[in-house]
Amino acid sequence: MAASVARIAARRASNVIFVAFCYLVTAIALIGLTAILWTLVANGIGGLNLDVFTLPTPPTGERGGLFNSIVGTIFLCSMGMAIALTVGLIAGTWLAEYSGSSRLGAVVRFLNDVLLSAPSILIGVFVWGVLVQPFHTFSALAGGVALAIIAVPVITRTTEDVLRLQPIALRESGVALGSPFWRVIQSVVWKAARSGILTGALLAFARISGESAPLLFTSFGNQFTNWDPRKPISSLGQVIFAFANTPYDDLRRLAWAGALIVTAAVLTVIIITRILTRQQKRA
Amino acid sequence: MSLTALESQDVSIERIDNAAIKLDVQELDFYYGKKHALKSVSIPFAERAVTALIGPSGCGKSTLLRTLNRMYALYPGQRATGRIMFDGEDILRPGVNLAMLRARIGMVFQKPTPFPMSIYDNVAFGVRLYESLSKADMDNRVEEALRRAALWDEVKDHLSASGLGLSGGQQQRLCVARGIAVKPEILLLDEPTSALDPISSAKLEETVTQLKSDYTIVVVTHNMGQAARVSDYTGFMYLGELVEFGETGTVFTKPATRRASDYVTGRFG
Amino acid sequence: MEHTLRAYDEELEGLTAELSRMGGLAEVEVADAIRAIARRDVMLAQAVIGRDARLDEIEAEIERRAVLLIALRQPVADDLRRTVAALKISMNLERCGDLAKNIAKRALVIAEAEPMTKLTRSIERMGELVAGRLKDVLDAFAARDLDRAKTVWLRDDEVDEHYDSIFRELLTYMMGDPRTIASCAHLLFVAKNLERIGDHATNIAEIIFYEITGEQLPEQRPKLDALEP
Repeated sequence: MAASVARIAARRASNVIFVAFCYLVTAIALIGLTAILWTLVANGIGGLNLDVFTLPTPPTGERGGLFNSIVGTIFLCSMGMAIALTVGLIAGTWLAEYSGSSRLGAVVRFLNDVLLSAPSILIGVFVWGVLVQPFHTFSALAGGVALAIIAVPVITRTTEDVLRLQPIALRESGVALGSPFWRVIQSVVWKAARSGILTGALLAFARISGESAPLLFTSFGNQFTNWDPRKPISSLGQVIFAFANTPYDDLRRLAWAGALIVTAAVLTVIIITRILTRQQKRA
Repeated sequence: MSLTALESQDVSIERIDNAAIKLDVQELDFYYGKKHALKSVSIPFAERAVTALIGPSGCGKSTLLRTLNRMYALYPGQRATGRIMFDGEDILRPGVNLAMLRARIGMVFQKPTPFPMSIYDNVAFGVRLYESLSKADMDNRVEEALRRAALWDEVKDHLSASGLGLSGGQQQRLCVARGIAVKPEILLLDEPTSALDPISSAKLEETVTQLKSDYTIVVVTHNMGQAARVSDYTGFMYLGELVEFGETGTVFTKPATRRASDYVTGRFG
Repeated sequence: MEHTLRAYDEELEGLTAELSRMGGLAEVEVADAIRAIARRDVMLAQAVIGRDARLDEIEAEIERRAVLLIALRQPVADDLRRTVAALKISMNLERCGDLAKNIAKRALVIAEAEPMTKLTRSIERMGELVAGRLKDVLDAFAARDLDRAKTVWLRDDEVDEHYDSIFRELLTYMMGDPRTIASCAHLLFVAKNLERIGDHATNIAEIIFYEITGEQLPEQRPKLDALEP
């Protein structure tokens, strides 16, 4: 009897230790996150003013802002997401619904996983070789394509996973009503998987909105506001990289402001999407 | 009536004399890849009656049900040989329009599968595939289907609410309403109450009993009491064969085969 | 409250309806048999004999329905008691019919012989009592009236008293005039048959009690047996 009492005490002790460990680790993560956000806000807030949102990037000493970079980032992310969503959704659907256990499906899935973990700078170099060098110009288009290539495998993967989670009976129910298979996928299965697909898109967006390495070789950067997609364009990631490396305080301040803007933008998009998804679920 | 003991390999298939036959399965064999799942099954399904398929797990009753609307065609490697006569046509031959076939032979599954849309859209989904009705006509069609599925009174005030918000029993009746909204001739039910509580099950059984005045119904069930309560004819299957088929009253009071007798009395399976 | 499966209610009600019909027919048979004895009515007696087959048919039908109900509906609790009660009551009613038929057969014989008005008057009175008990108990069944059923059950000894008194009367007659022995013997059997019908009414009362309460009647059934030496 004494032995089992001791064992119970030991078990309780190890439980307490483990729970304390969990709390500790969570605290470390939260502290880290808070530290990052705090640093961003502390350093970036000072640099925020109206000029940041209206004037293009300046050389040091002059008045300026991040308008061209903001425009550029918006354009590059939009283009990247548009392409990635189209390709990724269809590829993910094909993998989940039509490929079955075929050889081709396995190959595609494997290649997708490879692309998923490919270093983004390599993708930048690839796009440089295909879209920049033959045309002898950096361009916003090339930047958009590079971002798209980075985002596609994320969306493909999450779409396929989420679609596979839907019960088989759901598809069969649609087919049993006399609906063609593609119609069932489009009207029923996609709808059922909506929040999961959206999460995948959010993940992809969060990933590409902060990218700078691939953009170095494709959109390159532009001191002026550029509205022509065939020309180089500035982006926040690229500007943060460039200005942070300079010894000038005003430019550094702009870099901090840019970092804060990027973080705030991603957070806002995520929060809005979550709100929308939750409303749909309740309805 | 013979008093000798029933032989253990007996097979007894009664003919249906007093009703029309809506669906006639003849010498049906079914294969999952190499596995021979249905062995030369012949069974008639009477019009405007409920036929129950019972038997232990793995006997092939769900497989048989899924050949009736060629649901197996979704999966390569599954094939059927033989004939299934529906209104004079063999539905197993190649060239049959599967979508049209499934609009005439509906199916309700074991797990309720409401679509992620409003109750109204759920019921209207199948109808919209083939017909374009005015709003008033569609409203009527939806209401009629929900009434026949005994769900109208519970949902009539919130048709635009999501189908996913209903209870299990209600969801299953929604699936029934969805199935009958397209006005099929035959309704296939695959263990329709196995995921439901007893009261919801009883309501669904009453719905099925009401529906048989207009539809030919086939129910697969592992609940023998349900087969006894609800069906007019019962088929007992074992290891891919149809061992006994006859009127339900007879199968449950004096089964003609040893295996069926053992199964319904709970001596095996 | 009704069953969720409406057909179940319909089947139970159908069973009760058949049973009520059978009860009505049995009542008529008993009453007519007694009247045939009292009035020496040969035509009536033959009608009673002919109608007995009908009672047998209904009993077979009730049995068929009850077995099907048990197999297909798996009744429990009061539904089960109701079904079992229907089976048992139908058996008792069928026996009442047979006994009425026997009485009618003897009426045919008695009608040939000399009238014995005084004795047949006593039989008639006993017959009216027994027919009344049968009617009471069947009414109690239709109305599910527990008290009425209990009353019938408790008054079983009245029938026994009548039987004993008729027995003594018949003995006296037979000892007084040996030419009447044959007729008196028949009347004795008629009295015995009536006493058996009275017992069946008591049985039905017990079955009704079981159906409604689920319990057996507690005390010994009162049985007057003053004929023990």
